[in-house]
Amino acid sequence: MNLTIHPLIVLLFFPGGLFLLASGLVFQWADRKLVARFQNRVGPRFLQPLADMLKLLAKEEIIPAGAHRGLFIALPIIALASALTAALYVPMFGVQPFFSFQGDLIVTIYLLSALTISLGLAGANSVDRFSLVGATRTLTQLFSYEAPFLLAMIGPALAAQSWQISKINAFAGETTWFIVAQPIGFLVALVGLMGKLELPPFDAPEAETEIVAGALTEYSGRGFALFRLAKDIELVIGLTLVAAFYLGGVSNPLEFLLKTGGLLLVMALLQTAFARLRIDQTVGLWWRVGALMGLVQILAILAGIYIRQWWL
Amino acid sequence: MTFEPQGENRFIVPIGPQHPALKEPGHFEFVVDGEIVTGASVRLGYVHRGIEKGAEDRTWTQNLYLMERICGICSHIHATAFVQGVEKLAGVEAPPRARAIREIFAELERIHSHMLWLGVAAHEGGFDALFMYSWRDREVVMDMLEMLSGNRVHYSANLIGGVKYDIPLEMMDKIREGLNYLEERLLHYLDVVNNDETFIGRTRGIGTMTREQAQLLGAVGPTARASNFAYDVRVDAPYAAYAEFPVEMVVAKEGDLHARFVVRILETMESIRVLRRIFDNMPESELVTRVPRRIPAGETISRVEAPRGELFYFIASNGGEKPERVKVRTPSLCNWGTVITLAVGHKLADMPMILAGIDPCFSCNDRLVMVKRNRQDPQVWTWADLRNYGIEYYR
Repeated sequence: MNLTIHPLIVLLFFPGGLFLLASGLVFQWADRKLVARFQNRVGPRFLQPLADMLKLLAKEEIIPAGAHRGLFIALPIIALASALTAALYVPMFGVQPFFSFQGDLIVTIYLLSALTISLGLAGANSVDRFSLVGATRTLTQLFSYEAPFLLAMIGPALAAQSWQISKINAFAGETTWFIVAQPIGFLVALVGLMGKLELPPFDAPEAETEIVAGALTEYSGRGFALFRLAKDIELVIGLTLVAAFYLGGVSNPLEFLLKTGGLLLVMALLQTAFARLRIDQTVGLWWRVGALMGLVQILAILAGIYIRQWWL
Repeated sequence: MTFEPQGENRFIVPIGPQHPALKEPGHFEFVVDGEIVTGASVRLGYVHRGIEKGAEDRTWTQNLYLMERICGICSHIHATAFVQGVEKLAGVEAPPRARAIREIFAELERIHSHMLWLGVAAHEGGFDALFMYSWRDREVVMDMLEMLSGNRVHYSANLIGGVKYDIPLEMMDKIREGLNYLEERLLHYLDVVNNDETFIGRTRGIGTMTREQAQLLGAVGPTARASNFAYDVRVDAPYAAYAEFPVEMVVAKEGDLHARFVVRILETMESIRVLRRIFDNMPESELVTRVPRRIPAGETISRVEAPRGELFYFIASNGGEKPERVKVRTPSLCNWGTVITLAVGHKLADMPMILAGIDPCFSCNDRLVMVKRNRQDPQVWTWADLRNYGIEYYR
């Protein structure tokens, strides 16, 4: 779907800005509700994430002694800003991205990593023992899933012969779904997304029974709300990316809803089915299995392209 | 230069007194080197309630209800330990049916306690699905206890010389139905614990305690039995109706966290089995025997197997209406040493599970050390001081 809207409206209301924030909250609700139902709980009401957010925004923000004040306040804003910016290059809600250029896939992935890095910095900045351990784990996890996730994203890019998300999206819509041609890449991408979002069983960086809330232990009020919101938006972007790349692209809002909803269902199921992995188990899993599988996938694709060129 | 973390350079992760991993207040300090724990210490005493002292000011019957409140999870077994000690002092024995009913309550309590533990331990390992499901199924046994006594937590089934409630046939049938359901669910949980890859990754080979260590550290209950230390008061010194309706001891060889899960689940299934047998052969008799109001002077000990291990009571009477002294040693107290010892060398992420692995109960093992008035340094007591204090106290 291709719309022409004034760039300011794109940035502030739709599909960026407010609409994106709202959809982040809706996806957070859907995720919580699904996990709750899988665990035989009732789960939150529809407006619960909004209520949480409003409550947090109204609360006092306590800045711990010893933390760098400016950094402490700036990091949540940087995190949210990078998430919001990343969304501009992704076909959110099935609408063509409004800003698009050759290589925006790398920029999007970079912006999503910037979010995680601000999370890690926030933990390291707020001189708290739980935060420090959490920050170490967050960054360790970043280094373990980032490479496999990137490899999984490169797969469809190579097949589409483009580094532009909108082109890959369009290409994926024309051919058979990449999930059929590159099932390993799909699996790595989906599980990598869970690692990126620190969802169970990859929630060692914020394991509440060990290190309270990990890197965000000292955050309260607005800072916490912004980080939370940034993660919700990352969830939407991640789901859209995986759907666009592997599930035959998203070209209209209905397709977007169905495909991301389906992915979220699978992700919620994966969240409930396993016990939390220790950080060493996470790293081991990603480097021993994830990265290797991603590489094999890439080699297979390259071989395929080479053979086809040679054939024709 | 050594790499041994010392003095100022030590990085200590404090857990508690308030921490999401703890359901009761306790304070643990783990010295970590990266993620590896190199030292651990425990500090208790945040919920001291003065129950032992309070017991000296209440009559024997009133104390029954006080003792029940030592623990909210194993309330019945505390009252049983107390009541059996008092009966021994008074020289009476509860009628057979009363003893069987005591065993029924004790085993139902064990089922609910072990299922509660299963959920808590799974939660500590980040396996919330198992937590939610096992707690949902635990409601079945809670409902049974409520049906029998009217209460979910403090059943108050015991009286000195017997029990308060009879169990009619219809109730037994209802309980049987519930037990069938529970057995089915427990088989499923056993399957999960044994076959879930991520769960095994978090439990197998973690916190392994050898039989020698268990013996040396004085571990009791399922914690010790998971380390192949076969000791169960129900089998070794039968009380209540355990002589007529014996239970089989569940022992595992591995000694790791996984073994503790397996032992507790199998023990729960053994409880279900013995409950069915009691219902099939319920003895007929009175529910209470007469007990004098004043208990003859003397001292006795009473041992029972609480869900967490051996529970030990020392009761002294001076022939009056109130006890002279009641000393309670709860099973959690015996198991703390194992946590501190096993923690070293493991990852920080394993700490909550190792901690929960002994099924700790904090408030039941908090004791007060009395501070003497006219002393220079009230914190430090020498052996001579303690001995003197003891002699003064019992003069």
